[in-house]
Amino acid sequence: MSAASPPGPGGRVRSTAGELIRAGLADAGRGETLLGELSGAGLELDPAQLAVLADPDLALLTLARITSAPGGLDGLRALWPDSVGLDRLLAVVGGSAALGDHLVCHPQDLAVFGQAGTPMPPAGSAHTVEDTTNTADAVRSVPAPAQWGDLGEQAEPGVLGARGDLGEPTGAQMTPRQRAFRATLLEAVGADPDAPVPVAAGPAPEPLRLAYRRELLSIAAQDLSSTDPTALFPLVSSDLADLATGVLEAALAVARAGTEGHERARLAVIAMGKTGGRELNYVSDVDVIYVAAPASGSISEAQALATAAQLATRLQWVTFGTTSEPAIWQVDPNLRPEGKNGPLVRTLESHLAYYSKWAQTWEFQALLKARPAAGDGALGGEYFQTTRRFVWSAAESENFVEDAQAMRRRVESHVPPAQAERQIKLGRGGLRDVEFTVQLLQLVHGRADQSLRAASTLAALAALRDGGYVGRAAAARLAECYALLRTLEHRAQLYRLKRTHLMPVAPKDLRRLARAARIVPAEAAGLEKTWQATRREVRSLHEELYYRPLLPATARLSAGEAALAPDAARSRLAALGYRDPDGAMRHIAALTSGVSRQGAIQRQLLPVMLGWFADGADPDAGLLSFRKLSESLGSTHWYLRMLRDSAGAAERLSHALAASRYVADSLARSPESARWLDSDQALKPRQPDELRKELASIVDRSDSPESAAMAVRGLRRRELARLATGMALRILDDGAARFAVSSTADVALEAALRLATTAVARQDGVQLTDLAIIAMGSLGGHEMAIGSDADVLFVHRPRPGADAAGAQAQAQAVAARLRSLMGGIGPEPALEIDPGLRPEGRAGPLARTVGAYREYYERWALTWERQALLRARPAAGLAEVASAFMELAGPVRYRPGGLNETELKDLRLLKARIDGERLPRGVEPSRHVKLGPGGLLDVQWVAQLYQMNHAGDYPSLRVTGTVEALEAAADEGLMTRADATALIESWMQAMSIRNANLLWIGRVGTAGDVVPSDPRQLRGVARLLGYERGTGSRLTEDRARVARHARQVFERLFYA
Amino acid sequence: MDRQQEYVLRAMEERDIHFIRLWFTDVLGILKSVAIAPAELEGAFAEGIGFDGSAIEGFTRVYEADMVAMPDPTTFQLLPWQGERYGTARMFCDILTPEGDPSLADPRYVLKRALKRAADMGFSFYTHPEIEFYLFKSGTGRSTNPLVPLDLGGYFDHTARGSTNDFRRIAIEMLESMGISVEFSHHEAGPGQNEIDLRYADALTMADNIMTFRTVVKEAALAQDNFASFMPKPMAHYPGSGMHTHFSLFEGDRNAFFDASAEYELSKTARAFMAGVLHYSREICLITNQFVNSYKRLWGGAEAPNYVCWGHNNRSALLRVPMYKPGKPQTARVEFRGMDSAVNPYLAFAVILAAGLKGIEDDLPLPAEAEDDVWALTDSERRALGIQPLPHSLDEAAIIMSKSDLAAETLGEHVFEFVLRNKRQEWNEYRAQVTAYELERFLPIL
Repeated sequence: MSAASPPGPGGRVRSTAGELIRAGLADAGRGETLLGELSGAGLELDPAQLAVLADPDLALLTLARITSAPGGLDGLRALWPDSVGLDRLLAVVGGSAALGDHLVCHPQDLAVFGQAGTPMPPAGSAHTVEDTTNTADAVRSVPAPAQWGDLGEQAEPGVLGARGDLGEPTGAQMTPRQRAFRATLLEAVGADPDAPVPVAAGPAPEPLRLAYRRELLSIAAQDLSSTDPTALFPLVSSDLADLATGVLEAALAVARAGTEGHERARLAVIAMGKTGGRELNYVSDVDVIYVAAPASGSISEAQALATAAQLATRLQWVTFGTTSEPAIWQVDPNLRPEGKNGPLVRTLESHLAYYSKWAQTWEFQALLKARPAAGDGALGGEYFQTTRRFVWSAAESENFVEDAQAMRRRVESHVPPAQAERQIKLGRGGLRDVEFTVQLLQLVHGRADQSLRAASTLAALAALRDGGYVGRAAAARLAECYALLRTLEHRAQLYRLKRTHLMPVAPKDLRRLARAARIVPAEAAGLEKTWQATRREVRSLHEELYYRPLLPATARLSAGEAALAPDAARSRLAALGYRDPDGAMRHIAALTSGVSRQGAIQRQLLPVMLGWFADGADPDAGLLSFRKLSESLGSTHWYLRMLRDSAGAAERLSHALAASRYVADSLARSPESARWLDSDQALKPRQPDELRKELASIVDRSDSPESAAMAVRGLRRRELARLATGMALRILDDGAARFAVSSTADVALEAALRLATTAVARQDGVQLTDLAIIAMGSLGGHEMAIGSDADVLFVHRPRPGADAAGAQAQAQAVAARLRSLMGGIGPEPALEIDPGLRPEGRAGPLARTVGAYREYYERWALTWERQALLRARPAAGLAEVASAFMELAGPVRYRPGGLNETELKDLRLLKARIDGERLPRGVEPSRHVKLGPGGLLDVQWVAQLYQMNHAGDYPSLRVTGTVEALEAAADEGLMTRADATALIESWMQAMSIRNANLLWIGRVGTAGDVVPSDPRQLRGVARLLGYERGTGSRLTEDRARVARHARQVFERLFYA
Repeated sequence: MDRQQEYVLRAMEERDIHFIRLWFTDVLGILKSVAIAPAELEGAFAEGIGFDGSAIEGFTRVYEADMVAMPDPTTFQLLPWQGERYGTARMFCDILTPEGDPSLADPRYVLKRALKRAADMGFSFYTHPEIEFYLFKSGTGRSTNPLVPLDLGGYFDHTARGSTNDFRRIAIEMLESMGISVEFSHHEAGPGQNEIDLRYADALTMADNIMTFRTVVKEAALAQDNFASFMPKPMAHYPGSGMHTHFSLFEGDRNAFFDASAEYELSKTARAFMAGVLHYSREICLITNQFVNSYKRLWGGAEAPNYVCWGHNNRSALLRVPMYKPGKPQTARVEFRGMDSAVNPYLAFAVILAAGLKGIEDDLPLPAEAEDDVWALTDSERRALGIQPLPHSLDEAAIIMSKSDLAAETLGEHVFEFVLRNKRQEWNEYRAQVTAYELERFLPIL
């Protein structure tokens, strides 16, 4: 476009394109033209006036459109050159395309900008003063039409600056603003605001909608023209809520006009959600609940309910039904008892019955915001009054902790993935996060402290701060974040008056939003940065608000922090899930006391760790273990630094300590293991080769076999601790852990065999024979759990020229020595070596030569010995010896044609006897995961039966693992996939339960084979197995079901 | 303390009540009662009353016996038959573990869980039972002293100078005074046999009512020096005592079984529900007919429904769709005729509801209506029509249920396992009997 434009008809020469570009116009040429047109109509504008607008292009275009609308020009002229009215007009047409469109259609509404309207006080000033002097005086002549009753709630403050400066009562009485909106809107529909039951002049919704737009325009005008919108936000959102309650009242009046016999029912509309909290958005559903009662004794409840339901339905249509004027907003009645499925309208008694019997924690949380909004004031007041006790006793309900946690998870996770990155409202660091945090604290402390019973988020936050429940600085920062996020949301919604909670993506839109919200610098990038920083801050403030006040007053880092009084700390800890709040408080005090560097770092760390402990199954144990660990490690140079600086160490440590006693004990025993927590990588199983190298040098260095064996056992202990920590943190899955436990045992056996061989050979003066160790049982199947014995066979091959008897004696001596080295008492935990699966069992020699084994198996092998061989594999020792053994074992265990009748009968009989005899007394069979129906043994025996029958013919069945064998049988079509799956599922579940038992109890024992009946242990074990908090009792059911299915398959396949 | 609890405490004082009976039901459906003094009640509301659960059929394992009975104040009622001077009242209890979790063995909890599932699908479940029972003269029924029914009346008979009439009047007055509405009562087909129908109510209230009903009827009979029995088949040659029960599902205020435009005014929901009940009726038979004796009612002739089919006014069908009363959509319902009066109503309602819901969930197709009298068909005809029999014995019912995931899921694994164990034991004990029939039939000739 031309740079030097001709002077306009008014003779102005200053409006150059350059000025317009500086003012932020994207299309300066068109702007110039439009400006000229306006000027021609006598509407002079200085480009500088446009510079503050969100979208100056849009503003100019809209103004031009208004001039061509009938009456538009006159309307505009009336605003010139009044600067306040004009500024507001410009702010609106520059900030909202939808409101601009409205003005084009309804230029008469331009009058709104000229009038004082219902002015909002300037930001930061005392609203009350302004209210009572101007607005309130104006409406004071209007008597309160409905009897709101004295509900005696605390006054609610607005901005977080100082308490009570707004002097607005919650829900109970009407504020002057509410009264003014109510009167205006009722008059607009031709109803008498003073009437006890106002009825509109007609059933048409249009007059109300037009009046609503005018009021909305007035609010938006003041909002958009404000230079500090975040400070004004509390007033704007309370005004929007007050306007909404006015709309509800007027809509009800319109509904009455269209409902015959409406006087039969008393209907109260209770505002919920943001309307109830007086913190509404521009565009949002208005949440309500309806309460009804018969108008007189002669009317039945059923009649009254029917009429009230009609009224409510009509009310909703008045605000949202399709007519010639755009809808106001949707009324959402789904917070009512039973939600969508419940009746729309209930009596008060029916509401109360529901809340006392059926309601869940979130419903009480929702009630926190309830406020009578329209209709019968007495009934609404009674509803409000009688539901308070539910709200304030919610924190006592037994499931409160679980429910609250579940709700928090929903807050954090319930975001459609596509929007996750652009959500202002949902997700971590979003608005909902702030609201939830505040509400939860209200529910926890509001029972004892009435001053916290405020409905709006900011008022509640101020109350929490003043009561000392959250730190001053943190509260102030949270309030700022909240106001900023809400302002962004408002501005985003204003543009098209669409219900959106998303941050725009297009740079153009971002820029407009930045300008509208007066972000500095007002650019897309600036906004993005500010927004992300705000989200991050909300996230970190959560810990500050929630956990930091739990630190005792002595541990305060700065004056702005709160320290809870003991009672409040106790209820907060209890609400977090600590069973022994007093004990927890002692640990916290101990950890945060002192002036040392350790105390200082722990004061920083502990608040957030308290949250992580609370996430775990046993927060108390977690905290105590942390205290112990800190006491033994606090002075080392790396420990605190790691917790402070590492990305996830403190979190991993907290989770592991609260989840597993085994891990807590292991870490206490070798605190240096805590170093692993620095990274997930360190918690992965170490490769056998690395371990082998480490062991080799240990063995070489040590001076006696005993001390070397102790070092081997110590290394194994360390590796088991690593695996346990990985499992407790659910980094390591159970299958990988079993494999790693087994290969660690292999490595330990190998080292031990070397030690024993060398020691015995030294004693005898000569080495006569070479040994190999064959892994059997769970070791052979790579299915060892922490605490399993190692089932083995010893096989040897005399060295050439050695005396056979001497070699045999030496081999037995080596085996015995190895067992005592690994199994004897000592400072490090033993690895029990069990050679009980050897030929002839306990009566047979400890070791045999390959030849002796061959002879035995070929001539004497019993069915169970052949069965045991199924799991044989080389574990340690001379490879040639081991492979010679495996070669001979082949035909013994994998016989073509499978078992004959007698063998089959023997096998079945043996299993039946085991079932009858081995199950310990006093244990309910179905809880026993090893020997019970459908347990490990059942599954194993089916797998082995199939191997003995088919591995001779199907090489794929020649595996040592139970799961692998079943998979192979299914692959070969020998059993159905469904049967194999049922068996495998039960086996895996049983193994996992045993594992979790060990991690939880902390030591090896037969208790580990049983699904815990102690409820605490059950909960802990369930958490380790990945059940969500509060669903632990499902574990018992799940195990019983899975085991029952497996048992059915077992009976069919094994005894068939 | 909530308002309901306060109400109970006040009522206790006003009505001079000296005893509170806390009622609960064991897994077999036998009513259990603990009496406490009024002074204990406030504590009972707060913490419940601890007791040794190992002594109660099916409740716990011996080594973890402690249980807590938590009174439900909404079930507070004065008992009409205990003495005049001081009142006695009762409340039903929920059974909890010492940690305050619901006990998995509590039949009331089993039903609550099933109802919760229905609620999650948007339904509430209503039932309306017709309870049959016999009145006998006191002291009869031992081996030396055969049963003597109270009268010789038949179906709908008005027995002259009938003590049965008096009995029904007294029993009904007692029931009404306890807030249990009676819709209907009459003499049944057998001598001394009566039927009393309770007005429909939600399933949990109704199960409580049935437990109360049995007690009231027994008390009323005792007061007249007679005795009442709910045994399914007390006399071989006379009809057994069934508990035909009408079921309906409501979505809010709307009867979900009703559809004005469909055949028999039966909605799609109703059809799927019926299909579910029929499909699973064999699997849940052990619950709906839980004693050895139950199968003598089912297979002892006299119009007990023993084949899995449905019909419209077909009395031989297991499920019957009663005639629709024009203009009363709320009354649309289906009648399940299999249950007998000795059932555990909590468990039975739970499994029937679960079967029906499963039908709805899986959208099971409803088989064709049985239009003939299925009893008159031959076995081959029934087979051709795809009509299966219910289990013939307790043993068969137990075998069928042991494979039922629906039953296990609904009852919970604990109750499921207990019931199976208990019923196998019952069957084994029964099988060991030498009956009068055998002696009579075989002793002379063998």
